[in-house]
Order: sequence, then structure tokens, then C-alpha cells
Amino acid sequence: MSEIAQKVKEIIIDKLGVEESEVTPEASFTNDLGADSLDTVELIMEFEKEFNISIPDDQAENISTVGQAISYLEKNVNK
Amino acid sequence: MAYNLLKGKRGIIFGALDENSIAWKTALKCHEEGAQFVLTNAPIAMRMGKINELAKVCNAEVIPADATSVEDLENLVNKSMEVLGGKLDFILHSIGMSPNVRKGKAYNDLNYDWYLKSIDISGISFHKVLQTADKLDAMNEWGSILALSYIAAQRTFPDYSDMAQAKAVLESIARSYGYFFAKKNKVRVNTISQSPTKTTAGTGVGGFDVFYDYADKMSPLGNASAEDCANYIAVMFSDFTRMVTMQNLMHDGGFSSSGITEEIVKELTK
Ligand SMILES: NC(=O)c1ccc[n+]([C@@H]2O[C@H](COP(=O)([O-])OP(=O)(O)OC[C@H]3O[C@@H](n4cnc5c(N)ncnc54)[C@H](O)[C@@H]3O)[C@@H](O)[C@H]2O)c1
Repeated sequence: MSEIAQKVKEIIIDKLGVEESEVTPEASFTNDLGADSLDTVELIMEFEKEFNISIPDDQAENISTVGQAISYLEKNVNK
Repeated sequence: MAYNLLKGKRGIIFGALDENSIAWKTALKCHEEGAQFVLTNAPIAMRMGKINELAKVCNAEVIPADATSVEDLENLVNKSMEVLGGKLDFILHSIGMSPNVRKGKAYNDLNYDWYLKSIDISGISFHKVLQTADKLDAMNEWGSILALSYIAAQRTFPDYSDMAQAKAVLESIARSYGYFFAKKNKVRVNTISQSPTKTTAGTGVGGFDVFYDYADKMSPLGNASAEDCANYIAVMFSDFTRMVTMQNLMHDGGFSSSGITEEIVKELTK
């Protein structure tokens, strides 16, 4: 697993209070991990802070699963 | 109808998220009554909410602040005095959030990290606001500082979960800090205990609709609306309530003094 993927998982586990085993690539924040609308925005802001990038709203809308978050960040974070 | 109750007064209003927020209605009312103020909310709410719409209508500046961060609050208070051109006459703390409630955690199954968060965000943040304003010497004499509470601080409403303790802390802070602020420069500090109100924070509590209807039937005047609350807040910020301090003020249509009402009798006589 990439460093980014590891970090993303940690953030999700911490923010949503879920078990590591639940955080699979297909897991949806709202449908599977119990996130409400506030949580999803909070997650995006956590990613922005951690990886020092800004995620525009229209792109944030397309990030609704763990896998989507990881692939977006792997593509957009400068290493 | 406007009475110019707050003409020339300057303040800060926390907690306007959308047009249902009690703080939103309060901002409109204070603007109508001639006050000038800064609007503030947590950075997350600024991203989700519509506070900029409100700012336009009220001709107000928006300065983000997480109410649990003293650093953010210092920046907010300093900048507000700069923008408004002087010390403050009023502050509204209209902030509440419990991760346990949001995640549907029952009171006998709390997550303790979240418990601390609930109390920090919904209770201790009021002390942080007060102490910051105090240390920065930001309040004018006879200023008025208010926070919003709920009767679950005194009586058990099972679904209100850990927010009951947060509100108890909040009300207690108003009494304790009210003493120091009165002695320092005659600033008054109170909480308003408001009826259930249909807002984002309100409807997040499990079984809110029943809660709301029950309170409505148990209150001889019915539930106080967010607009009613805004009116009361405007009066509490005005010069007509100077000697009211260190109180938890019931704003609930009579709910807190009622034992039973005709409506409840009717409901149960079946
Ligand atoms: N709605 C009700 O039934 C009811 C009844 C009695 C008292 N109250 C109280 O009234 C107040 C206002 O709530 P409302 O009903 O208008 O709902 P609301 O959801 O519109 O307002 C709550 C506000 O708290 C803000 N907030 C959360 N965390 C914050 C933080 N860390 N820093 C700064 N702001 C933060 C939110 O962004 C939001 O604007 C709360 O204290 C609430 O407990 C509500």
C-alpha cells in the first residue's frame, strides 16, 4: 500500500471512528462508513490539510469512496 | 417593525449555518435594529453553509474561527474590533455539536473522545470566548454576552445524550464568568434556554419531531420559534436589560413550569 493510501486510511478511521477492516477501497463514506454530510466535508478538508493541496468542490463531489479518495490524492499530490 | 433598539451597537454573532439557524434569524433582527456586527463560524461551516449570503444582506464581514481554538478566537476578536471600529457591545454564542449524537451513540454507549469533543465545542468554547474577550479588553461597559441552551441541562431527555452535560457546563460558565465580567466592566453574561427548534443541530437529535410536538403541546403558548428567540436576544443585547446577569433564561412558551396541559390530556384520553 502506498504511503498516501496508508495516511488516507488513518484519517478515515480517526474521523469516522470505524474499524480498519471496514475501510476497503469500495467502502462508501455515507453508505458503508456512517458519514453524515458534515463528515464528508470534514474528510475532504482533512485530506487538504494533510497533503497540503486544495480540492475544488466540483472534484470533491466525485470522492465518495475510500478508493476514489486514494486515487484522487495519488494523482494530485506532488511527491 | 424596527425600534432601533441596537443603534450604534457592535458585536459578534457565532453559529449562522443556514437560514434556519437561530443565529441567522438573530443576525437579521440585529441588523434591522441598527446593530453592526461580524459573522463567524467554523471553517467547515463556511465551506458548507451560506453565511456569505447573510453577510451581504447584513452588510457584515465574515471572519472564520473554530470556537475551540483560542488562537482563532483572539484573531477573531482583534479583527472584529478593527473592522467595526471599536470595542464590542454584544456577543452571541450559538454553537452546539456532539459527535455522539450525530453518530447515534446512546448515552450508555458513549465514545469518550467524542464526549470530550461535545463538551469542548458546546460548553467550554463559551469560556474561551469569554476569556478571550476579557483578556483582550474587548467589551464596552454594560455589554451583553449570550449563549443558547436547552432544558436537557436540568431534566433528562434520553436522546439528548452527552449534550445534556455540555449544556449544564455552558449554563454554569455563564454564572461563574458573569461574576468576573460584572466586576470588571459591568458586562452581563446569560444563557437562553430555547424551545426545540427546527434547525440542523436540532433535527440531528433522535426522534426530534416527537420531541418538538410534545414540547409544543406541553407549552401553554406553544414552542418559541427561532424568530421569537431572535427578538428576545435583541432585547437582551439592548440597554433595557442591564441588570439581568448570571441567569439561565427560559424562553419556552411556559414549558418549564407546566405539569400537564389540555392538549396532553386529550392526547392520552383515548
Ligand atoms: N434547535 C434546537 O432545538 C435548540 C434548542 C435549544 C438550544 N439550541 C442551541 O442553539 C444553538 C444554535 O443551534 P441551532 O439550532 O441554530 O443549529 P445550527 O446547526 O444552525 O447551529 C449550530 C452552529 O454551531 C456551529 N459550530 C459547530 N462546531 C463549531 C465550532 N467548532 N466552532 C464554531 N462554530 C461551530 C455550526 O457551524 C452551526 O453554525 C446551539 O447551541 C443549540 O444547542 C437549539
